[in-house]
Amino acid sequence: MIHFDNVTKVYTTQKRPALDGVSIDVDKGEFVFLVGPSGSGKSTFLRLVLKEEKPDKGRVHVAGKDLARLSNWKVPHLRRRIGCVFQDFRLLPNKNVFENVAFALEVIGKPRRFIRKVVPEVIELVGLEGKAGRMPNELSGGEQQRVAIARAFVNRPQILLADEPTGNIDPATSIGIMKVLDRINRTGTTVVMATHDAAIVDSMRKRVIELEEGLVVRDQTRGVYGQAY
Amino acid sequence: MRAQFVLSETWIGLRRNLTMTIAVITTVAISLALFGGGLLVNQQVSEMRSYWDQRITLTIYMCNEISPAQTCQDNGPATDADREALRADLDDMPQVEGYTYLTAAEAWQDFQERIGSSNEALAEAAQEGDIPDNFRVQLTDPSHYDTVRNAVTGSPGVDSVSSDQSVLDKFYDLLDGLKWAALVVALVQLAAAALLIGNTIRLSAYSRRRETGIMRLVGASNFYIQLPFLLEGAVSGLIGGLIAAGFIVATRYTLLTQIEAWFQFDVGLGTGSLLYVIGVSIILGVLLCTVTSFLTLRRYLKI
Repeated sequence: MIHFDNVTKVYTTQKRPALDGVSIDVDKGEFVFLVGPSGSGKSTFLRLVLKEEKPDKGRVHVAGKDLARLSNWKVPHLRRRIGCVFQDFRLLPNKNVFENVAFALEVIGKPRRFIRKVVPEVIELVGLEGKAGRMPNELSGGEQQRVAIARAFVNRPQILLADEPTGNIDPATSIGIMKVLDRINRTGTTVVMATHDAAIVDSMRKRVIELEEGLVVRDQTRGVYGQAY
Repeated sequence: MRAQFVLSETWIGLRRNLTMTIAVITTVAISLALFGGGLLVNQQVSEMRSYWDQRITLTIYMCNEISPAQTCQDNGPATDADREALRADLDDMPQVEGYTYLTAAEAWQDFQERIGSSNEALAEAAQEGDIPDNFRVQLTDPSHYDTVRNAVTGSPGVDSVSSDQSVLDKFYDLLDGLKWAALVVALVQLAAAALLIGNTIRLSAYSRRRETGIMRLVGASNFYIQLPFLLEGAVSGLIGGLIAAGFIVATRYTLLTQIEAWFQFDVGLGTGSLLYVIGVSIILGVLLCTVTSFLTLRRYLKI
């Protein structure tokens, strides 16, 4: 599903590469934690998957497509197969829960009837039934993140990328978020989650890829956050 | 493609930057009105030219006692024989469509009638006899003007040959000057309008960066992301163009009508020409705004 072949990415403002000859394979339906200190290359990895950045060396394949050969005007179609969740939720404050989720479908031109059918299903899937009419500022952090996940998943992407989705949420609520992500993973969606949250990684016992200074220092199935544990 | 979504986004953008939108519309309207005014004058001049070219007459003034020309001084006033000879010459010339002869009395009368109403002082100052008797010659084609003029100049008893051409040329020059002045100011204004539109669209893109960021992430096509901004520019241009059209129509029915009345002829600028000017102005407004928006977006809306 995601295939990195000896990928190097250097940002022009920095000497040290953000990713340094990284080769990673993520299969369809996998759940992968991406761990490592800040600046280890986690976000760069996610940006390369979305083709927000281009690698300086190596090849990136996502959903069977060689991104180097993907023309710019086809990038939106790639992104429709990838859902994204962020630490800061990125909801639209002037739209309610339903509208926020529906927005993702409206802007790719889905018919209204389809939207009316699908959005409530996804809102229920993330555990927000009965809150479709709420505005984001009336929701807790955990609930807002659920809306963001619903928006990322409403188009049934093959891949869900999550960049520290629990970074702004207390540990108890984080467990709920992880359950939602796990539920999504069980529908066959590949989930890649970058995180600093050791407790979550340890409790889930999923594949863990650890990056440090742009290198893969550990790739472990059913791993934990740090080797010290 | 969901038209309703795009239109509502466009509307939100226009409303959110209302003051800037008004500034854009005003600038576009003024610049297009000036541009349209220039075009209008241009159309008017060319219509007047073709009107006058068909009616251009040559006036051959005969010598009289007070003619200052050297030939008249030497040979004295024109004699009847001179006039008969000139008549014969004119009859022989194929370029001459026809002519009428005005005696000094008739010429004075004609002058009183034409000038008397608009310039009384001049009419009163002119005495009968100041204007020599003359031939009014109609040409088959205005391009024969020089041929005929050269042929009769120097004939016995001929004082001078003049035509409306020289008067009209001065008028054309004036209108040409007006036209270019209007077009240059319009150009400067259009440049200012373009900068304003660029800024407005930039502001609009900035204030909606959250929405466009999400649109990008969920895979909305570039066209879909840009379309509301492009429409925002296009709508501003269209409204500006429509206001300018109002100005242009007003100009047509006040200024040009006055000019026509002043010159006592009826070359009413046709509705066709008016529609052409309005059409060109509106299209220019919409194109200018849309293209500027597009160029701005390429810089400020990362896809």
